[in-house]
Amino acid sequence: MGYFDVPEIDYTRYTNRQLAAVPLAVLAVALLVLVGWFLAFGTPVDAGIDFTGGTELTIETSTDRADVPAAFDEEPASIQAVQAADDQYIVQFTSTDQEALRDQAESNLEPAAGGDGVVQSVSSTSASFGSQARQTALLGIAVAFVGMSLIAFLLFRTFVPSIAIVISAFSDLVIPLAFMNVAGIPLSLGTVAALLMLIGYSVDSDILLNNHVLRRGGDFYESTYRAMRTGVTMTLTSMAAMLVMAISAYAFGIDLLASIGVILFVGLAADLMNTYMLNLSLLRWYKFEGVNR
Amino acid sequence: MNPIAFVKNYWRVLLLVVFVGAALVALFVPGGIFADDSVAAAANDTAANETDAAGLTNLQYGLGLDGGTRLSAPVVGMTAEDLEIDSGQTATVERTLYDELGVDPEDAIVRYDEESGSYTAEVFVDNVTRAEFAAALQEADVDATEDDVRDGVTETTREEIVRTIETKVNEAGLSGGRVTTEETLGGEYFIVVQVPDMTSQELRTLLSERGVVEVVAHYPENETQVNETVLVRDDFDTIGSASYNERGGYHYVPVTVSDQKAEEYQQQMVDLGFTSAEGIQNCGIKDPETDEIDFEQGQPNYCLMTVVDDEVVDAHSMGRDLGQSMASGEWENDPQFQMITPTQQDAQSLSVNLQAGSLRAPLDFESSQTYSIQPALADDFKLYSLFIGVLAVFTVSGVVYLRYTDVRVASPMIVTALSEVVILLGFAAAIRMPLDLSHIAGFVAVIGTGVDDLIIIADEVMSEGDVNSRRVFQSRFRKAFWVIGAAAATTIIALSPLAVLSLGDLRGFAIITILGVLVGVLVTRPAYGDILRYLLTGEK
Repeated sequence: MGYFDVPEIDYTRYTNRQLAAVPLAVLAVALLVLVGWFLAFGTPVDAGIDFTGGTELTIETSTDRADVPAAFDEEPASIQAVQAADDQYIVQFTSTDQEALRDQAESNLEPAAGGDGVVQSVSSTSASFGSQARQTALLGIAVAFVGMSLIAFLLFRTFVPSIAIVISAFSDLVIPLAFMNVAGIPLSLGTVAALLMLIGYSVDSDILLNNHVLRRGGDFYESTYRAMRTGVTMTLTSMAAMLVMAISAYAFGIDLLASIGVILFVGLAADLMNTYMLNLSLLRWYKFEGVNR
Repeated sequence: MNPIAFVKNYWRVLLLVVFVGAALVALFVPGGIFADDSVAAAANDTAANETDAAGLTNLQYGLGLDGGTRLSAPVVGMTAEDLEIDSGQTATVERTLYDELGVDPEDAIVRYDEESGSYTAEVFVDNVTRAEFAAALQEADVDATEDDVRDGVTETTREEIVRTIETKVNEAGLSGGRVTTEETLGGEYFIVVQVPDMTSQELRTLLSERGVVEVVAHYPENETQVNETVLVRDDFDTIGSASYNERGGYHYVPVTVSDQKAEEYQQQMVDLGFTSAEGIQNCGIKDPETDEIDFEQGQPNYCLMTVVDDEVVDAHSMGRDLGQSMASGEWENDPQFQMITPTQQDAQSLSVNLQAGSLRAPLDFESSQTYSIQPALADDFKLYSLFIGVLAVFTVSGVVYLRYTDVRVASPMIVTALSEVVILLGFAAAIRMPLDLSHIAGFVAVIGTGVDDLIIIADEVMSEGDVNSRRVFQSRFRKAFWVIGAAAATTIIALSPLAVLSLGDLRGFAIITILGVLVGVLVTRPAYGDILRYLLTGEK
């Protein structure tokens, strides 16, 4: 059925240890990246201007990209060209003096032909506003994670399957965070939204797997395969939607949508691994050995 | 099949049809579900004027998709609460605060708080420490220590500021300005101002002007020139809009002095000599060429100065007619005069400042956040997000089709997921929620989760061979629903902090996603189950 079908993996060939080793190793690497970042830069994840304070300008100019920095007194923190529109750039600064930056842009850069001025959009966050937002965001993530964990325990009311969900959800969060550091995506409001979404999204396949294995009769491997067929299709559909959103939003220069898309894509990919290796090995151990203890 | 049985059988599908129908009405029928604007006018007047421009739908667009500026900033000031002050002493305490702290009268206030039944004192400057404030209060015989003083201002003050800014942005010739307060985790409050059609600079200029208007008399006394404030905003009864005097060729704001003040003001003018032969039309401090004010003239001057935020906007002499009517005591019967300004812009801003009143306390731009976007770019974003949404739908449809290749399963799936988006859009149009980029992300997320759940239903129902009876279908559907309910619960829990906390743009994303999950679980997914049953069991 279908042009693609979820392959049946012969789980009997691998021990629980072998199965859990891969996702745990990836998780360990991800945690190492975060710790390394913390030791090197004093913060586990690079925060963007939403959280550190700074100014972002979207400019439309016929001036060459290479000459854009010279227009400003302060060296821009980053310049990104918008793919879908000619001559559009997103320029970030650590300064919050948006009026000065705006004036410099208007007076030193050539407006694009037929445009209505150089500066198309300004977004500026002061440092103290940013640090408040960062605290709020951290609290939001913590509350969401704890809430999700409580629901997991409420749903299954047994320790091992519930903790399996919590562990793989944790890993689903940590891996994209480490990915963000490596790929140079700073933590922004958009990525925080994506991380929260990930908490909600990624446990779906874990719940599905646990439900099939624990609450239905039948052979463990058969239940697992049925859950996988549904779960993998689900996750792949979502990943496809997010990838398309990430690529098109990046091309159009809509940062918010692009970062939500990328983070969810990476997180869901991590979730595939965590659900069907880590969660599964814990479940199998519980089903065959843990229950009898 | 008789109608009752039909409804019984397909009520879920019928419910979906009703919801989609209502959403389409809300989206496309001019005026929407609520024919008059009164229901939603208070909730959001941001884009009431744009409904006509948008034309096609009743959707309202927020800042990111329509252009404009948003500025969030806290209020400068600190507050001492729960003070015990005798009711007659508030003015004395206020005066002591001015003197001890060296602040202007508008920068300190003592109020009675109805709710707690005690007094609060506030100062609105940032160069006074808590200790100094407490000491000043003690100087006024008020029992207060440094611990009683907190940063921030009272709710009453914030409400006054919100009202004033609302008038200011809407008086400035723009409609659709929105002013709200937002509380952060630390208990700090931000004033959030959102206006279409204004650049960040214009908005900031408008807000950084405190807008304290005074009329100051500048007159000779004992051989020197002295200044005395003779009128403040509260002394005016009616304030006109910026006008132009064709004959005299000047811009002005017509004002009427209140009855209580008129007589006093008239007497003051007479006493200070403004209506005497020497006083009338004798003001030489303003250079007629450059409009610059120069106080060092060396000769007696009788000037009435319009002062905004301690800056002299204009200075004029007493007119002959006005002077005579004041001298004869007739003026108080019809106490009007014209406040003349050098330019039309000055007249406009003077009128705004007078009508809106002054900002009770200044805003702290040092810890502010601004976002501003040109309407042209916002329009592009509108198109782009539509494109991204459509692309996401196609991608999802493609994957679903590739997976099932059964049109009977895949097509209702896509139709159901789309109807979810239509219902949400209709809801947004009905309550006039201004759509922003974050909502678009929410819609894409809804498409994603929606299809996920439909996949769970389809797989469960079709597992273990054909579905040949209604009973088999029902039991499988119920099993599938347990997973969907559990998944929905986690998504709602995960996103609820965002819907409550003030994290800028993200609230819209969270609200749309949560609503989408609810609509999905309660309406669209049960309906999909019915459709699938009909298609698979062939039950008529």
